[in-house]
Amino acid sequence: MELDSHAASVAGKQQPKLPVLVFGIVEVRRLKRELEALEDFMRQASIREPGKQPALPRLSRMLDALATDNGRNLLQDADRQELHGFVQGIEHSAPTIHISFASDPSSAFVAKLVTWLRGNLHPEMLLQIGLQPAIAAGCIVRTPNKVLDLSLRQNLIGQRPQLIAALDALAAETQVASPQPGAVA
Amino acid sequence: MSLAVPRVRLLCGARFRTNLHSNTRTPNQWSRVGRQAMSIWALVLILTAILALGGVFVWLALQVSAVRGPKRSEQDTLDGAAQDVEHIFNEEFREELRNRGRLHFEKILGENAMFLQQDLRLTTSQLNEYMKGEISRELKEAFLSYQGAIADAKQLAVESIERTKTAIDEERQSLVGQLEKEVAEEKARRIKQFEERMSEVINHYVLEAIGNQIDLGDQLEYILAEMEAHKAEILEDVRHGT
Repeated sequence: MELDSHAASVAGKQQPKLPVLVFGIVEVRRLKRELEALEDFMRQASIREPGKQPALPRLSRMLDALATDNGRNLLQDADRQELHGFVQGIEHSAPTIHISFASDPSSAFVAKLVTWLRGNLHPEMLLQIGLQPAIAAGCIVRTPNKVLDLSLRQNLIGQRPQLIAALDALAAETQVASPQPGAVA
Repeated sequence: MSLAVPRVRLLCGARFRTNLHSNTRTPNQWSRVGRQAMSIWALVLILTAILALGGVFVWLALQVSAVRGPKRSEQDTLDGAAQDVEHIFNEEFREELRNRGRLHFEKILGENAMFLQQDLRLTTSQLNEYMKGEISRELKEAFLSYQGAIADAKQLAVESIERTKTAIDEERQSLVGQLEKEVAEEKARRIKQFEERMSEVINHYVLEAIGNQIDLGDQLEYILAEMEAHKAEILEDVRHGT
């Protein structure tokens, strides 16, 4: 029923896009397998006797979001084929970026980050999330050919002169605060 | 011729003196005549005395032979002499002679032993004095030689110590310089290493201190700002990579 309502709301077909929930290659492949399973179910259902149709398999949130966000009806063969082709194309050609964090990010954080990536870099950008506890804050971005250290450590390295100056000032204050015993006559 | 009574006095064998008085002759002539007369009278008296003594001896011999009776044989004489000898030199006398000889021999032996002991003591004392002198002289010479050797050795030791001290001072100066240089280099290296790893130290400290309290949600703006700053770089690499 939901699929029918989405299909009715679609006025003009446009290029599908990935929902925010689908942010990595793992999800894309899972989505592809789910579409293939749904296609098999539909093919089996077409050759069964009337009145003995099995129940429609439960769709995942990602597939539901993919159909809903793109205004496609999964009961339609054309839409399924289109989405399958789209997902297959994403699997083979979508750019992937790897970002490591100090801790495991939440879904909301990942959604915001994926939204920014697809809005500013590439609309089909996929994300792989890594975990590096050594970085206190920030992240490390690894593109196919580069590694960008956006962590707090790199930020501190960039601010080394300020740190040294701060330490020198602190050492001077410490010496003034505690003069040596020999200096007091 | 008037002769004065000569007075002859015999003293100790053949000395006599006469006083002669003469009326006609000179005193010298009278003296010579007196001395001649005295020599004749003395000779007569001596001959008379000798004859008298010979007669007395013969008379005595005859009387003795008459008293002894007949002559004994020679063997008897020898036996008698032997008996007399045995009688005189009997065992007691011989033992007495042996004792006396033994005592005399012991006395001589004691005296000789005493003399030998005294001589030996004297020789020993002289030998000791000689040995003392020789040993003292040798020891003095040896001590003088040793003193010289010790002085030379001392001088050598002092020179060696001076050279060693100089070498040690030079080495110490060199080591001090080297140590100061190494300390300065190590200090610079440590400071450089500290400055190079300061960010890691602070990062580690921050991570240990508030690592569990840093929320990724709070970092989203910082991360997005950083990615926005490197947006062109990332975009170019993504496009070329794909």
